[in-house]
Order: sequence, then C-alpha cells, then structure tokens
Amino acid sequence: MSIAILLSAILTLSALAFVVSRQRAVASAGGNLRALHSRPAMYGWFGALSAGVPALLALAAWLIVQPLLIERDLRGMFPESVQADASALTLAMEDVRRVASGLDQAVAQGMMTAEGAQDLTGQPEAVRQLLAEIGVALAADVSPEVLAAAQDYRQMAHDGALWRTALVLALAVAGLIAAAALTTRDFRARNHVERVILLILMLASSVAVLTTVGIVLSMLTEAGRFFGMYPIQDFLFGLTWNPQFRGNSTFGLLPLLWGTLYISLVALLVAVPLGVFSAIYLSEYASARVRSIIKPLIEVIAGIPTVVFGLFALVTVGPFLRDVIARPLSLGDSGSSVMTAGIVIGILNIPFVASLADDIMNAVPQSLRDASLGLGATRSETIRQVVVPAALPGIVGAILLAGSRAIGETMIVTMGAGAAAAIDVNPFVAMTTITVKIVGALTGDTAFDSPETLVAFALGMTLFVLTLGLNVFALYIVRKYREQYE
Amino acid sequence: MPNTVPPAVSHPKISARDVNVFYGATHAIKNVSMDIPNRSVTAFIGPSGCGKSTFLRCINRMNDTVAIARVTGRIELEGENIYDRRVDPVQLRARVGMVFQKPNPFPKSIYDNVAYGPRIHGLASTRAELDAVVERSLKLAALWNEVKDRLKEPGTGLSGGQQQRLCIARAIATSPDVLLMDEPCSALDPIATAQIDDLIQQLAEDYCVVIVTHSMSQARRVSSRTAYFHLGTMVEYGETEQIFINPTEKLTENYVSGRIG
Amino acid sequence: MTDTPPLPKAAGSLLELDARTRRRNAAETRFRLYGIAAVAFSLSILFVMLFTIFSDGVQSFRQASITFDVTLDPERLDPEGNRNPEEMADVTTIGYGNLLSDQLSAYMVARGISTEGVSARDLNAMISRDGPGSLRAQVLADPTMLGQTIRFTTYASGRIDGYMKGRVTRDTAARDTNISVEQLDLADRMIEAGILTAAFNWEFLTRPDASDQRPEVAGLGVAILGSAYMMGLVLLMVLPLGVAASIYLEEFAPKNRFTDLIEVNISNLAAVPSIVYGILGLAVFINYAQFPRSSALVGALVLTLMTLPTIIIATRASLRAVPPSIREAALGIGASKMQTVFHHVLPLATPGILTGTILGLASALGETAPLLLIGMVAFVGTYPASPLDGGILDPATALPVQVYAWASRSDPAFIERSSGAIIVLLAFLLIMNLVVILLRRRFERRW
Repeated sequence: MSIAILLSAILTLSALAFVVSRQRAVASAGGNLRALHSRPAMYGWFGALSAGVPALLALAAWLIVQPLLIERDLRGMFPESVQADASALTLAMEDVRRVASGLDQAVAQGMMTAEGAQDLTGQPEAVRQLLAEIGVALAADVSPEVLAAAQDYRQMAHDGALWRTALVLALAVAGLIAAAALTTRDFRARNHVERVILLILMLASSVAVLTTVGIVLSMLTEAGRFFGMYPIQDFLFGLTWNPQFRGNSTFGLLPLLWGTLYISLVALLVAVPLGVFSAIYLSEYASARVRSIIKPLIEVIAGIPTVVFGLFALVTVGPFLRDVIARPLSLGDSGSSVMTAGIVIGILNIPFVASLADDIMNAVPQSLRDASLGLGATRSETIRQVVVPAALPGIVGAILLAGSRAIGETMIVTMGAGAAAAIDVNPFVAMTTITVKIVGALTGDTAFDSPETLVAFALGMTLFVLTLGLNVFALYIVRKYREQYE
Repeated sequence: MPNTVPPAVSHPKISARDVNVFYGATHAIKNVSMDIPNRSVTAFIGPSGCGKSTFLRCINRMNDTVAIARVTGRIELEGENIYDRRVDPVQLRARVGMVFQKPNPFPKSIYDNVAYGPRIHGLASTRAELDAVVERSLKLAALWNEVKDRLKEPGTGLSGGQQQRLCIARAIATSPDVLLMDEPCSALDPIATAQIDDLIQQLAEDYCVVIVTHSMSQARRVSSRTAYFHLGTMVEYGETEQIFINPTEKLTENYVSGRIG
Repeated sequence: MTDTPPLPKAAGSLLELDARTRRRNAAETRFRLYGIAAVAFSLSILFVMLFTIFSDGVQSFRQASITFDVTLDPERLDPEGNRNPEEMADVTTIGYGNLLSDQLSAYMVARGISTEGVSARDLNAMISRDGPGSLRAQVLADPTMLGQTIRFTTYASGRIDGYMKGRVTRDTAARDTNISVEQLDLADRMIEAGILTAAFNWEFLTRPDASDQRPEVAGLGVAILGSAYMMGLVLLMVLPLGVAASIYLEEFAPKNRFTDLIEVNISNLAAVPSIVYGILGLAVFINYAQFPRSSALVGALVLTLMTLPTIIIATRASLRAVPPSIREAALGIGASKMQTVFHHVLPLATPGILTGTILGLASALGETAPLLLIGMVAFVGTYPASPLDGGILDPATALPVQVYAWASRSDPAFIERSSGAIIVLLAFLLIMNLVVILLRRRFERRW
C-alpha cells in the first residue's frame, strides 16, 4: 500500500473511532449528556487520537528506520574494497537505488513482469540498455553485484512495505477497539485528550531544539569528513584558496575570512552612522506627522529581498564606483569589489540599525532628558552627552548584531563582490567571502564526496560559529551594562 | 478672582502678568499674575491637577519641550520678559535651575553630574576652576562631606535623599538666580525630607526659591510666601502664615483645613 | 552658608545671545542637519534603486513581435504527403525556420520593403528561435492546416527586441556579432510597415524559462508556480507548528532549564544566516531523506524551518498581549487551562498571529540563498505538475532564484527580465504587506 493510501486509511479509521467512541459514551450515559464527565466530542477525540496517533508514529518510525536496515543488510553484497570506503559505498548504494527504481518502472510500464525483474541476470551493458529504453539513464554499466543488490533491495522494500501496512493498520484498529472499550460516562476523556494535546504542543516546541541539533550535527559530520581529507590547520591558517577540479586543491580560510570581515566593516561604516543619525532625527527632532511618513518608508528598505539589492549592486552601484572612483584613481578595474558589496549591505542594514537604535534610545528615561534640558543644554548636547552614553551598551550590541547580519549575507556578495579569493587592502578590488564559496562549492559540478564539495560544510561550521558567537557576545554586553542605570 | 499682590514686594525677582497656558484645547493656567521676591522661598500649593507644576515650568520655559503647549502673557526675570522672541531658553535655564520630583542623576560620576551645567555653559575655564565649582556646589547642597572621597563613583549609586541633594547641587552649579523645585521630596522618606527642608531654608539666603509641594506642612515649614492654585487659577497669594491661619478665600480655607484635596 | 565665595555665573542680558550660545545653537543646527541628511540619503538610495530597476524591468512587459502571412507549403512540410504527424515530424524546426524566413521575405517584397544588405540567414536570425518551434507544434497538432495561408505572429529575436527598447543601438551593433546595422535598418522599415510591433506581453508571467539564446520568450511561469507551491506548503506547515510551540512556551511550559534552552535556541535560530538553513536542508532532506533535489517540497521544508523562529516570537507576543483578566475570567467559571487557551486566548490573539505569519511568509518569499543550495539554480523549463499529482516533488524554481539566475547571464536582455521579475516579486510583497496593514487596522485592539 502506498503511503498516501495508508495515510487515508489511518484517517478513515480515526474518523470511525471518533464516531464509535462518541456513540458509546453517550449510550453509556443513557442519552443524558449531563451525566458525562466531559463533553461528548471529547470522547470522540479520544477515540480518534487513540486510533491515529500510535499508527502515525509507527509509520513515521518505520519510514525512517527501514532504509537504514536495508542498507545495512545489503552492505555485505559488495566487495571488501567498496565496503571499507565510505564514499564509494554511498555511490554504490545510490546506484542500487537507481537500478531498483528503474526495475520498478519497467514493471510498472509492463515491459517485464515482477518475477522477470527479480530473475533478471545478464551482461551489464544489456541491462543498462534495457533500462535506457524505459528512460532510466545510468552513468555506468550495471555490475552483477549491483544488479543482485538492486533485486534484493526491491524484495526487501516490497516485504517491508507489506509488514509496514500490516503493523500500522493493526495499531489503528487496536486503538479503535481500546477506545471503544474505555469510553464510558465516567471516563475522564477530556483530561486524557488534553494530556495528549500537551504532548503534541511540547513536541512542536522541541522542533526548535531539533533544528539546532540538526544544523550542528549535519555540519559536524560532513565537516568531519572533510577534515579527514584535508588537514584542519591548513584550512584554518591557509593563505590561498584554490580549488582544482581534478583534486590537489588548497583550501585556505584566511582570504575568505578577510573578505568577509572587510566587507562587513564597510557595511558597518555605512549602516551605523546613517542608521543612528536617522533614528536620532526621527525620535528627537521630527514631528509626529513626519515620523509617521518617513519611518515606514525606511522600513520598506528592510522588506526588500536581498537579491534585489544584489541586482542593484551588480548593475548600478558596481559600474558607478568603477567608473567614477576606481578607474580615475587607478584603484581597480572591476565592478565587483568590496566597496560595492559593503556599501549595498550597509544600505540594506540601515533600517535594522535605526530601529534598534530607536528602541534603545527610547529606553533611556525621559527624566534624564528633562534634567539635561532643565540645566540649559541644547537638544544635540543632551543627545550627545546624556542619551547616547546612557544607551551605549545597547548601541554596541546593535552594532555587533548588524555585523553578524553582514557576515551572513550571501546574495549581495555573490552578485556584487565576485568570486576571487584574495587578501588586499584596496577595497576597490574584488574579494570574496565565506558565503559565496559555500554556494559555489555546493552548486558546482564536483562529486558530493569530494573535498571540493565537503569544504562547504567546514565553511558553514565556521560561519555558524562566527555569527553565533557575535550574537551571544552582543547579548552579553547589553545585559551586563544595562544594570548600570536601571 | 482677585490676585493679592502683597505691597512688600518692591523689586520682585520674578514677575508674572496674565499668564495663560493651553495644552492643545485644554486651558490649563488661567490669567495668573504674581510677583515673587528674591532671597526667599515661595510655595505653590493646591490639589492634584490644579496647575501648580505647569505654572512652575513656565518660569524656566520647560513647557517649550511639550509640542502642544502654548503660553501667553509675560513673565519677567529681573525686568526682562523671558518669553520675548529674542530669548533663547538655553541661556535662560542657566539662570533658572530646576529640581524634579523624582531624583534623576545622570548615569555619570558624581563629579560629572555636578560639572555638567558649568561645562556646557563654559563657566569654568580651567580644571581647577571646575573642581572648585563642584566642591562649592556640593557643599552648598550639604552633600560634600558624604561624597568628597568618592567623586568618581556613579551618581546613581547614592541613596534617594543623597541623589536629590546631588540634583540640587547640579542645579546650583551654574549659579542660577532662581531655583525651581517641583515636589522635590515626594519620592523621599521623612528623614531625607527633613534634610532637604533644612537645605531649602539655607539656600533661601542666597537664591530665589520657588517650590511646588503637596505637603502643607512642608509649605508652612519652609516658605515665607504661599500661593494657592485651584483648577488652573491662582486663588490666593500672600504671606504663608496668613494663608494658613487666616485665608481670605473660601476655596483656600477649604483646602488648608483639609476639606478638599 | 554664605561664607563660601560666589560661584562663576552666567551674566548678561537674556535678550542678547552671547557668543557661546550662538556657537552652541550652530552646533545644534548642524547636528539636526546630519540627521536630515542621513534620512534623505537613505531614502534617495532607495528611490534610485527602485527607479532603475523599475524603468528597466517594465520593458519586459513589452515584447517585439513580427506579424505576417505564412502559406503552409505542403511540399516542404509534408514531403510524403500522408498528413501523418509522425512522418511530418521529420521536418525539424530548422525546416520551419527556413519556411518562415522565406515567407517573411516574400511578404515584404510584395509590399515594397527592400531586404537589401540582409541575407536570408540574417533575416532568419531576426525571428525568435521560438517561432519555428511554436509553428511546428501547431501544424503537427492540426495537419489540416497545410496548404492554408495563416496570419502568423512570432516574437522577434532578442536583439531586435533590444533595438526597439533602446538597449541595442547602431553603435553597439557595429561591435556585436549577433546583429548588424543592416538588420536594424530593415527593422526600421518593418516598423514603418507595421510588420514589427511592440505590444504588452502578459506571457512574461506565464511562460517558462528559456535558454540563453532566447531571452525574448523567457517567462516567470515556472517561478511563480514554484513560489506559490512553496508558500502554500510553508503556510500549512509553519502555522500549526508555530502556534503549537508558542502556546506551549507561553502558557504551559514550566520555568525550568529545558524551557530556557528552547527559548535561547529560538532567539539564536532567528539570527542564524539563511544559508546555514540551506546547508541543513541539503544534508538532511536531500542527502539523508532522499527527497528530490530542487523540488518545491524541499524548498518549503527549508523555508519552514527558517521562518519558524520568527513566527514563534511574533505569536508569543500576540499571546502575551491578551490581558490576564481574560484568562482569569475563563478559569473562574471552571474552564480548564487548555480550554481557556484555545477557546478564549487564541481567538483574541488571532489577528496578531495572522499578521505575524503573513510577514513571515513575505520574508520567506524573498529568500534565495537556501534555495540555491538545494538545487534550485538549475534551469527549469517545464512546469511542475499539479500538487495532487505529486507536483511538489517535481523540479521547480522560485521568483527570487529566477532573478538571480537571469542576472547571472551575460545578455542584457536577461538583466531586463531579471528586473521585470523583481517588479513581480515586489508586487506580491506589496500586496502581502497591504493585507497586513488592513488586518491591523480592522482587527487589532488596544487593551
């Protein structure tokens, strides 16, 4: 039974359980609804949950576990050499899956019977030809062990599907019967249902933790594989980044780190003054009418997707900087540069900094401003000498957070900074960042298990640690210094 | 309502004539006129919302910071109308200091709190001069002995009463002619209040002090003149003893005897 | 204490501004100007960006096309004469292309338009390469058309289209191998005769993407559909998950270390760069779970995980905004905690939850980096099937990814397309934000 049909079956059984449990509960109270502990619908829901939830959980578990078990069984069919090498094994398994699905398609299209597929033996090229006729393209000839493994795979998958269907349906029916037996009028249906709902709510919130765990685990394992192929010191302290299609690449992090930090610095130099002064003007000087028009306009900048800014950098800002500044001053000849990407990222972050600065400065009590004005200070003196120093920890935190966002930016640097890894002080030269290389490594043509692709996970880990560290540090600073004047 | 101006005020420090204050459409202060003498304490009393703080804030033009406030009439400081178009409130406030209801020291050191006013107005040209100003202001505010060894510590680390005295020191550091105090003791405990009361009486020897208070006992203790405000009008103004013992107006009598407010 | 010497004081008349005050006021004015300058600069950059993109992108809604009479010569198109589509399929698009250029040439000569200086091959190049293909498809679908003379409209080639929009000029043509000055002259004559026109091009929104040689027929159809699938899926997934998690964290969770851990996690996840989610999606959904690359399902899963923290934060704020008195009233009449939350608190928090969700969807709509990593940068020329047929597993692309893909191609015609795609993307975002504003105005209460 396909999964879709199985799901519909579970759903139908749950609906049936709902009706049955509800009827039984009402019947047990002799039709008098007041004698029931909970509302009638609650008994129904109890029935539905009892039938549906164990079945769904079992289905989910089976779907996750079955492929693992099958692969473990099939591993023994490959030669020792393949078994020992993890990447070769993965490739071999992929071949097995592809052949198996090809055979499935052949059977589905009527080109061979099910037994014919299982009994199929023959020259590798013949099998490949056969599958090609159906439309299944294979990269290489089908070796005998792959074919045998694929046939075993089909068998096990088929058997597994049968057992899965049986177990899931059995659980659903058992749940239905159990619920029907339990739902009498004194049965505290609502309490049980609410307990299940609470569990579901708890599971939903653990998705957040699961996501973090997923991120960390997936990056750690793949990065670990990468560091098995390439020494970690060379990665962390290497000065050149030079991936080669045929292997023997050098992966030095430092040029990428330099580009990332340099671009973020330029971005901060743009975003912080513009953002803070905009916030100061809007909160201290502008009338309510002006503020109500201008503030949403600035927020518009924040709502525009980064890829739009990327196009702007590519088509307008880059050529402008090149033609007006870089070429005349012989500083560079490229539209893609640190300045281009940095300036555009800075502009992107103006609303972020402005809104944070606004919140922070509003948190400074009005009484301090009154005291300063009462002493005869002008508004700018009050802002410069009382408000900003009082808000300083928050502003530092905002700067760090904006820096973290600039470091993680991908599209604008991809389109505006280029892909050349270099360490240079001249900001009108093209340099690249960690994020660009992650995209490059994972969307390129290199095989997945090669170091050229896996380095993306090492880079991703670096990026994650960097941004997380900045965010935590920002929070720490804000919290530590806030107590000073509370 | 007759506004009694006692004939004894010959050279008033502050002189108000027909002052009206509007907050948007609300008429908050209605036709107040009075003369306030120098080197004395004048108290404004009245029930909540009667406008005494509003009128106080007219004297140093703090109402300018409220967008919807509009002030008409004249208030003269030593003969010059402070609402004249040529007057910059920034300069005015160097000569009229204010202490607020809740102590609001800056999150700076004690020294920097007191030095703030003289710094921005450029009143001290050397570090030594500034040190002297800070010391004298803290002495005048009866705080010097308690903080002289910890001038670099944050002003927010002091107790409530000490903070308010710090604010008073800060306000007098610019040598203002007038010191306005808006319910300065309402956030303090009785001991601190008593200390500030003593301080006020000492300051009255050199400054023109105007104090808004909701405590009638405080008004009787510290002030020589008292004005009673009621719903935006100044109902009666005269010598403190007379206001409290023998008020002319019925409204005044109702308030001081505790029947209203 | 009048024994202390007098303090330095501000002297002079109030009616005169002393020098220092004048200087301070000047500094005040300067400070204010910095603020205005900052706001003005930020907004002007915004306007410049929108203006340049709009003025370029609007052009992609106009497309040059050539209209002329075509006689479908049976001898050329059906040599065997059996009107059998399978046999007729032997005539390739090249054959149809030659037919079209011959017919166009004849059509123009009949009207006295000279084709001087333009060879037959060059004339062929002025017609979009899509033209022969669509004519062939028409004829193969209906062989009875053979022998008739039809009025045929086809797109002009990318360069001709560029000429009509001002991108291609005689100067650039002199240096361009794909177009010659003589072809431009001919184009002028065709415009005069009404054969070459530019018209509003709805198909930009419906056609799928096209290869590098045919920018004139590249369209957003697949991208819009892909984005629509993904947004639908994200809504289905993120709303229940987000609301459930928020309810637990806000109403039920005990204050222990595990709950703290979850909250810290959520605020950290909200600040993680989007590309990290792309890596997660690649590793978990594509490599481990073997979902198809570049499918709407995987894209939606990744976007859900990305949007979830922001939705949780917004939903918790909405729940918190419901005053405790409501909860107390419900508990007071004997409702259980869960009934209180679901029957009383949640309905009141719904407007805030909805606006937060729409805003979350809007930011997900514009995300590009994670989708690139799950394979969506590849060229997708066919529409995904309907969701009921498993269309969410077919290769798809998304609007912002299409913007990026087109911008990466060297032809300026594709830059124009990219800008046009941005216009469509921003239009969707505008609609979503307007809905949020309307919702806020109608439903959000002030307690």
